Amino acid sequence: MSTGVRRILGITFILFLMLLLFLPRQSQEWLSHVGGPFARILEVPLRSVASMQDSISDIWSHYIALQNVWEENRHLRQEIQRLQGEQNLLREQTIIATQFQKLLAYQETAPMTTLPARIIGRNVSNWYRAMIINKGGRDGIHPEMGVVTEAGVVGRVVRVNPTTAIVLLLSDPNVAITGMIQNTRDEGIVQGTPQGTIHMKYLPPLSPVQQGDPVVTSGLTGDFPRGLQIGRIQQVTKADTDLFQLGDIDPIVDFSKLEGVLVITSFQASLPESLPERAIAPSP
Amino acid sequence: MTIFLDILLCLGVVLTQATLSTFLSAKGIQPDLCFVLACVIGFLSGEYKGLMVGLIVGLFQDLLAPGGIGLNMILKGLAGALAGITTHTISTVTGPAVLLVTFALSLGCGLASLVVAYPVVDGLVLFYAFSSVLLPQGLYNSVLAFGAFWLINKIGLSMGMVDLGRGRR
Repeated sequence: MSTGVRRILGITFILFLMLLLFLPRQSQEWLSHVGGPFARILEVPLRSVASMQDSISDIWSHYIALQNVWEENRHLRQEIQRLQGEQNLLREQTIIATQFQKLLAYQETAPMTTLPARIIGRNVSNWYRAMIINKGGRDGIHPEMGVVTEAGVVGRVVRVNPTTAIVLLLSDPNVAITGMIQNTRDEGIVQGTPQGTIHMKYLPPLSPVQQGDPVVTSGLTGDFPRGLQIGRIQQVTKADTDLFQLGDIDPIVDFSKLEGVLVITSFQASLPESLPERAIAPSP
Repeated sequence: MTIFLDILLCLGVVLTQATLSTFLSAKGIQPDLCFVLACVIGFLSGEYKGLMVGLIVGLFQDLLAPGGIGLNMILKGLAGALAGITTHTISTVTGPAVLLVTFALSLGCGLASLVVAYPVVDGLVLFYAFSSVLLPQGLYNSVLAFGAFWLINKIGLSMGMVDLGRGRR
């Protein structure tokens, strides 16, 4: 092919292209129909390349993202652990605060002066049922002081150190306080046993005491005011040879779950002044 | 210096006993860690050290217990000394010997504590104490003493520090 012919062909091609630009829309559609199959053929490798590119970029970005996610996951796990720890701490503090709130509310309304104390230790041997509280002689605690919660009687202080005190629980055989059946007004001695249960001894033989009757302090001993809850009668027994009835008491306080207590520092032993006169006046 | 370390050890054991006893108890029976310490020291270091550590740890225990001061001191001191004396009578103190001697000493100390702790000790109380407290506590104490003795012995021998099996005369 000579150079002249090539030039002619080149100019013709350019003219054809220019003509295409100025052809009416219908002709362009016809051309697009003609070129459609070619375009489809071109689509296949184009799509493949595009999809490959997409997958490569996906893998790359996911890998990077995974790296970030792994890091983030580790941080989040640490955060969760920290928050769980904090949550447990807060929950524990809330429970303790609630318990102490109850104690303090009771302290304000109770007819006695009390000192709140926290339990910092428990039995140091199997032979005593005792606990150690964080208040001692410096706080004005003395041996023989009564120890209560808002629920009822806990025990009695037996030893006082400068900053701590040892409280013997009501379930210890070495503790005995005077109690009274609230319904029948029969009095007896409430004492612990080696097994850890609580008995009410010396109940009058003719007392109509029944299972479920509440037992309260009678106020006859110096360390507890009258009317503090001790527990409920679980069972009453009397052997033929015994002079008195014996009651088993289900204590109202769960000694194993105590965390805070109130030590009774003083109380008014006499009857309240607001008692109506007819209640204390002799019957005609 | 050693005496301060002994005092610190005793203090640590008493505090553990006072604060973690609930977690250490099995079916309501807790081991007497102070007693175990006195016995193990007696076995490992002889009667004098056993006596001394027993007296110190017993005194600390008495300060945190409701009973009178002196009982635990004397009992733990005696237990430590007797455990130390055992090393004279046996050619080599082995694990089973520790187990048996600690169990016997625990029963003896427990019985003495029982008589002092309970206001009335009749047949029923004695039976209850033996079956529910003395025997399980004795077993618990002796197993702990055996474990501690075995562990310390093993560590001590592997480090070539001491000949713990025979105790110090």
